[in-house]
Amino acid sequence: MRKQAEEKTNWGASYGELIWRQFSKSWLNIGCLIFVVFLFLVAIFAPFLANDKPFVIRIEGKLYFPLFKNLQPVDYGILLAAIGGLSQLLLIRNERRNRLTKDGSVNGYGCATRLGISCAIIFAGTALVFVLIPRRLDATDYKIMVASGKATTAIFAPVPYGKTRTNLVARQQPPSGQHWLGTDDVGCDVLCRLIHGSRVSLSVGFVAVGISSIIGIVIGAILGYFGGKVDFIGMRVVEAVMAIPVFFLIITAVAFFPRSLLNMAIIIGITSWTGNARFIRAEFLKLRRQDFVQAAVSLGLPLRSILFRHMLPNAIAPVLVNATFGISGAIFIEAALSFLGFGVAPPTPSWGQMLSLGVSTTGRFLWWLTLFPGLAIFLTVLAYNLLGDGLRDALDPRLSKAI
Amino acid sequence: MNRDEILLSVQDLSASFFTEDGVIRAVQNVSFSVSKGRTFALVGESGCGKSTIALSILRLVQQPQGKIVSGEIVFEGQNLLRLREKQMRQIRGNKIAMIFAEPMTSLNPVYTVGDQIAEAIKIHQKKNTNQASRKAGAQAWEDAVELLRTVGIANPEQRAHEYPHQLSGGMQQRVMIAMAISCEPKLLIADEPTTALDVTTGAAILDLLDELQKQNGMSILLITHDLAVVAERADDVAVMYASQIVEMADSQQLFAAPFHPYTRGLLRCLPRSSISNPRSRRLQTIPGAVPQPPPFPSGCKFHPRCRIGCNDNRCQTVEPELRQVQPGRYVACWHAPA
Amino acid sequence: MRNEYLLQVDNLKTYFPIKKGLLRRTAGFVRAVDGISFAIRAGQTLGLVGESGCGKTTVARSIIRLVPATAGRVIFDQTDVLSADRAKLRQLRKQISLIFQDISGSLNPRMTVSSIIGEPLKVHKGMTGRQLNERVATLLCEVGLTPDHINRYPHQFSGGQRQRIGIARALALQPKLVIADEPTSAVDVSIQSQILNLLKDLQEKFALTYLFITHDLAVVEFFADYVAVMYMGRIVEQGPAAELYRNPLHPYTRTLLSAIPQVYIDDFRLTIDDCKPVLSEVEGSKIENQKSEIKPAGCTFGPRCPWRQNNCFKQMPQLQQICNHKGHFVACWKY
Repeated sequence: MRKQAEEKTNWGASYGELIWRQFSKSWLNIGCLIFVVFLFLVAIFAPFLANDKPFVIRIEGKLYFPLFKNLQPVDYGILLAAIGGLSQLLLIRNERRNRLTKDGSVNGYGCATRLGISCAIIFAGTALVFVLIPRRLDATDYKIMVASGKATTAIFAPVPYGKTRTNLVARQQPPSGQHWLGTDDVGCDVLCRLIHGSRVSLSVGFVAVGISSIIGIVIGAILGYFGGKVDFIGMRVVEAVMAIPVFFLIITAVAFFPRSLLNMAIIIGITSWTGNARFIRAEFLKLRRQDFVQAAVSLGLPLRSILFRHMLPNAIAPVLVNATFGISGAIFIEAALSFLGFGVAPPTPSWGQMLSLGVSTTGRFLWWLTLFPGLAIFLTVLAYNLLGDGLRDALDPRLSKAI
Repeated sequence: MNRDEILLSVQDLSASFFTEDGVIRAVQNVSFSVSKGRTFALVGESGCGKSTIALSILRLVQQPQGKIVSGEIVFEGQNLLRLREKQMRQIRGNKIAMIFAEPMTSLNPVYTVGDQIAEAIKIHQKKNTNQASRKAGAQAWEDAVELLRTVGIANPEQRAHEYPHQLSGGMQQRVMIAMAISCEPKLLIADEPTTALDVTTGAAILDLLDELQKQNGMSILLITHDLAVVAERADDVAVMYASQIVEMADSQQLFAAPFHPYTRGLLRCLPRSSISNPRSRRLQTIPGAVPQPPPFPSGCKFHPRCRIGCNDNRCQTVEPELRQVQPGRYVACWHAPA
Repeated sequence: MRNEYLLQVDNLKTYFPIKKGLLRRTAGFVRAVDGISFAIRAGQTLGLVGESGCGKTTVARSIIRLVPATAGRVIFDQTDVLSADRAKLRQLRKQISLIFQDISGSLNPRMTVSSIIGEPLKVHKGMTGRQLNERVATLLCEVGLTPDHINRYPHQFSGGQRQRIGIARALALQPKLVIADEPTSAVDVSIQSQILNLLKDLQEKFALTYLFITHDLAVVEFFADYVAVMYMGRIVEQGPAAELYRNPLHPYTRTLLSAIPQVYIDDFRLTIDDCKPVLSEVEGSKIENQKSEIKPAGCTFGPRCPWRQNNCFKQMPQLQQICNHKGHFVACWKY
């Protein structure tokens, strides 16, 4: 049925659509995808979900919007990136639907146009940011203002606690109506820190995997395409890099460089590209002999076009699968490092850090400090792993049908 | 067709594949019979279902996607479709053997060819003899070497120790034939035996099959897309189009005077230097392409490509059945001479 | 003086080294192409015939330098192809195009038809947008497909249609020479005749020159003006098509012709029952099956030749013209 519908609309199922169709057959895959998207949304909208400043507050008859005024540059950056990415996806979708008009002229947006539009959005947003950045930190406790009656109506975020707002009165509280997941040693709300900590975990994952994928693809493509001496020497270099222990390199780097999220992600990225390089090299060695590559060479197409337009889409499958496992692995490494104390510095919340704090508290065992961050790490890593499994199943048998 | 003793009789066979894109009816109501000692050819282009028929006879159709939906296959009085798997295994390789199109992928690359032939011999003769297994093993190896000599491989004692990848395509095909005839089957199914081979090698293989047929008196069910091969080697022919038989006759009768427009079209397509002027430089064609199921065209499946049928209402709506128009000749066409 | 040949190949040799041993030393060479010479006039068709493994595909790929040739000269339109630099090569590649045999492998499964055909136009001619789409649609119509196939992927087409897409891609840059490497081996009989007719029509319409490579002698007679028969990397016989079929001289050619199965007795079979090949150690003509790395002395067809004599094993016969048949060359000691 679907095939006949496609016949009518005259566009074919692209590789991506075929994979999606196979992928979406299993409810487990869809479930994991929903969870991952949910995590994404939580990370993007974290300051809107858990913030001690209200959305809007009326003080002495005037309306103020403290939450929006106090958004940090990081928040803006993430929001803009999300909007940029979403706009790209929507434009791709529109382009596919409008590809061919009746008179046969092409009506697509093209890669460059899409990128241009996204960049325009991001630049416009960034410009706005400079207007809206708070000049000074606002330390007012709006809750007290509400309580004391100075302010009348106020709309707070769902989790009305700040990620750095300590409250020594309410420390070490188990989960209750006030604090849904309890409070930690210094009185910070656990749920709020969990929400803000998701940013750390996810960004490490994506930055690390992004870096490792790009390096791995470029190196693997060159090795696989040229073969011979280039391949021989290159593979020895790759093997040398593989021998570097990631963990100890990070610990060493922490000693030299300032402890930051970006550094950790970069280090994880530049030490884990070797797997991707090997996959891509293997696929390219296979593809080099295929006739369509020979056809592209015989038509005189430039090398970069052959490598990245012709061969890469056919070779990308194992890299995609590896990427999902890489994200879960990066999250896990980050959590482990933060647990050991080498990760992000407090007060930036991170799941591993919260675990470490939960374990190190002396005296009573505060179960809510270890259970919830641990559960968050567990579920996230599990979701990405299952996603990777589902993707691998969707890619493998379908590939042979499309070829 | 010659009313010799009938070895294999396929009656009303239908087989379908159940995929997520729908049900593909690969074989629909196919009936034919193979007589003892004769070569029966199933001709058709790719996708017409002839390989599925071969696999159905040996019940090798891939379950659960593929299923033999209905029909009977009677071999030596038994309906093969009703047998239990254990009984079927005694027939496969023993009474009915099969050789496949791609010899390289049909031989196991990790065993020597001698081992593979000897294995077939050992398994099928195990129940016949009660010799000690070691002696049976040595005997089987000797038999394998003899078989290699019979199929025309030079220096068989040495070749038997080689692996499939060390042999050329023609020799691999001979090894497969050796495996197939090792238990002197009554019926040999040859599924496109020469498609993957060169012209000269293919001719040699077909000569070999002819010779073996004369020696053993076995019947051959030859499946191919090459009409010329059929003309040279087959006694009886059935032409298949889109999962059905459209014409069936004695080989000489068919090529002397084909009735069905598809058969006629195929014969016209072949380049023939004696008939047309080489300088005219245009080959005859059958317009269009073989329909991919589903869905098949309504009525006669060939009508969109048929000069007569594309204008005829009956051809477009009602599907013609295979009926006997002369003794031994069957055609499925509304416009065949009755 | 203006040379009237569009393509001239002069003693082309392509050897592939066989590496053996721990240190991958070159132990010998697989002589895929061992001294091939031929020439094609503009607007004509040369049929290069031979069984699989004889090196004809390597000839095609050596001519356009997809595979590095070891020796010899290839002159296309007064330009030496083998020694051209990168820029010149790029120009040459626009004028020579290749049609491939393997239809499922020759089209990129991840690209739509419009990209497959349109990309060379974009890269070399800088066409974009509406102009590009119009040209692609025109090309599709030329090969017998409809323009609304433009956004489909190769796996949605049948074998014959894919081959047509391959032909459209080959025509995109308006080449002068088209090398067709077994274009009809992978399609059904009824589609084969359609494709051959299409190629013929395109040749007339666009004044193309073809180097038609195939193993099917039956097809070549209808298509080619001039035929060359290859065996084990060398040309054993060449001549005008009609002449070659009427009077095949080399034992290998006669073997090939006798082995073609025919429907009607008088199609190709001449009285050449003296040409059943002798069974030998070297069955088949695949070059990769050569056991020895040393160049064998004498004629390569010797072991299988039913007419072999003593001096056939001593020296390799050269191509020479038979006196009373103009343009008909044979490499055999019998003549």
